[in-house]
Amino acid sequence: MPEVILKNLPFLLSGLRLTAEIALWSILGGTALGLVIGVVRHLRVPVLAQLFALYIGFVRGTPLLVMLFICYFGLPALLAYKTSAYGAAVVGFTLFIAAYLAEDIRTGLRSVRPGLAQAALATGLTRAQALRLVVVPIALRNVIPTLFNQYVRLFKFTSVASVIGVNEFTGSAMLVNGREFAPITIIGFVALTYLVLCFAISSVGRLLYARLAVRT
Amino acid sequence: MSTFKLDWAPIWDNRDLLVEGFITTIVLSALGLLLALIIGVIVGTAGTSKARLLRSGAAAYVELMRNIPLLVHMYFWYMGLAFLQLPPFACAVAALALYSGAYVAEIVRSGIGAVPQGQRLAALATGLTPLQAFLLVIYPQALRIITPSLASIFSQLIKDSSLASVITVAELTYQASSIEGQTFRTFEVYITISLLYLLLVSVVTYGLLLVPGARDDVAQRVSDA
Amino acid sequence: MIALDQVCKSYGSTPVLRGCTTAIGRGEVVVICGPSGSGKSTLIKCINGLEPYQSGSIRVDGVEVGARTTDLPKMRTRVGMVFQHFELYPHMSALDNIVLAQVHALKRKRSEAEARAQALLARVDLAEKADAYPIDLSGGQQQRVAIARALALDPEAMLFDEPTSALDPEMISEVLDVMIDLAGDGMTMAVVTHEMGFARRVADRVIFMDRGEIVEDAPKEQFFSAPKSQRAREFLSKILAH
Repeated sequence: MPEVILKNLPFLLSGLRLTAEIALWSILGGTALGLVIGVVRHLRVPVLAQLFALYIGFVRGTPLLVMLFICYFGLPALLAYKTSAYGAAVVGFTLFIAAYLAEDIRTGLRSVRPGLAQAALATGLTRAQALRLVVVPIALRNVIPTLFNQYVRLFKFTSVASVIGVNEFTGSAMLVNGREFAPITIIGFVALTYLVLCFAISSVGRLLYARLAVRT
Repeated sequence: MSTFKLDWAPIWDNRDLLVEGFITTIVLSALGLLLALIIGVIVGTAGTSKARLLRSGAAAYVELMRNIPLLVHMYFWYMGLAFLQLPPFACAVAALALYSGAYVAEIVRSGIGAVPQGQRLAALATGLTPLQAFLLVIYPQALRIITPSLASIFSQLIKDSSLASVITVAELTYQASSIEGQTFRTFEVYITISLLYLLLVSVVTYGLLLVPGARDDVAQRVSDA
Repeated sequence: MIALDQVCKSYGSTPVLRGCTTAIGRGEVVVICGPSGSGKSTLIKCINGLEPYQSGSIRVDGVEVGARTTDLPKMRTRVGMVFQHFELYPHMSALDNIVLAQVHALKRKRSEAEARAQALLARVDLAEKADAYPIDLSGGQQQRVAIARALALDPEAMLFDEPTSALDPEMISEVLDVMIDLAGDGMTMAVVTHEMGFARRVADRVIFMDRGEIVEDAPKEQFFSAPKSQRAREFLSKILAH
């Protein structure tokens, strides 16, 4: 491994750890939020479904960088609440990815054969039970590849947090470059690391899908 | 403690900056799109070739370009290749073209694969050369199939262009930051450019509906890659 | 125990059921037949409230199905349904399919539910397939599991919506055999089907529907030997031709 990388490895690795943390929290939060929104939209709950549709439409038409700016600079100004760049980044990423996951989950819910829901109801389950025990589990298993696509995308997007001052992996690497000035080596290292990690995440998704996919 | 009042006047006062930025975004995106299409068609077609070398090369390109964050692409051209002294705008176009080109390549590859085999055989049987068969029979059908996915890649590219602001390209987001620096109307300025991006993306998405032969479900199926 | 009175239903402006009136007594086996589009599946799905109806009344053991105050989930544990396409939950084993509603709708303990499920699987001759997933079962096996799933709730009546129409011919008899057994045990059954052999053997009454109306409703011997209506006669001749 090139000298300049070795010398700064601890710093770079701490940046990578931050990247992983941000990604993890955003994925967990985004998936939970996305599930709620997706179900609400699927059930066409009055008022809520329309509000969520507006939210989704807005987020999906907005660049991630602008979302981050809004969360970091804008919201604190509006809500009179100061937050750290890290916190703003996690909130921003969560809100961002939830909008996409919600649509993917809704598509998944729609793709479950209506006969299955009917059969569940016919055995005396309430609508809520049919949803929780039959429709949602099947839908989620079916959309695992789509969800993991979004997760990989989010992982790449964490690099943008560096623009609002979070010292995640890309940000740390750029700082190192400012000191050492070996851009090709450092950027090459960064690129390679993302490549390997994104591939790893995709592979996890593929494995999970192979095991959990509902075979019909 | 900032006020709860929203004050849009300063935004309006700086509208010429916003317009400049908006135009830069459009030009940046258009160029990036054009190049991404060219790259994507070439690489995507290579991905369907019978030659293993071409196929693996195409796959490697796609995996490499897609799994590296766009921001890192931009830094690569702007800082990594600083000795080339490319203007930031050119760096941004290059980064966008190579990154999105990988996505276009994947779509093109699967689009070509989705055209029934029989079509190629039928074309050859009527005396067309393989090249003619490709250009006149396969491509048009593939294009029709992939239009919805292309629309989503295009809209993604428009939003991704905002990262060019980080390498000092004076597009919309860059102008917004500079306006924010002067007027401190953070919320208002970023909401404004959000809506502008939304407008641009909507125009492109629904514009593609006008492409003759595009499927009617473009609007529903456009979901970002 | 199931009483229908002038039931009318439309999808938008298209009428699907026109003033259907009939009754099914305890222990009776009623076969409902008719050309496709006659509304027979819709009628049966109205009985357990899966399909709403606009006017008329359906009473199951005195409870009005269409009433706003009716506890539909509870009512559905007393009337079981078997679907044309089996509709087994693909993400669960055969055993779990049968256990699910017992635990969540009837609030039985899991151990009790599993024991009941095993017993029912044995009854439909599939004891060894408890851990198999629907994808690993043939159509006939899936339908038998579906019947067991419905029986697990100890219903007082069973509704069958074309239970053998989606099966390959060689598997039809294994499912019909289970149904014949059920009838023999005194279960109240309403069966939508084209299987006239089954009707002749086991039905008490046959109802013939056409274009949303109940055209004929007669004891089976009378239906098969001397159907009153022209449409029923045409239908029978086409069905029994092969």
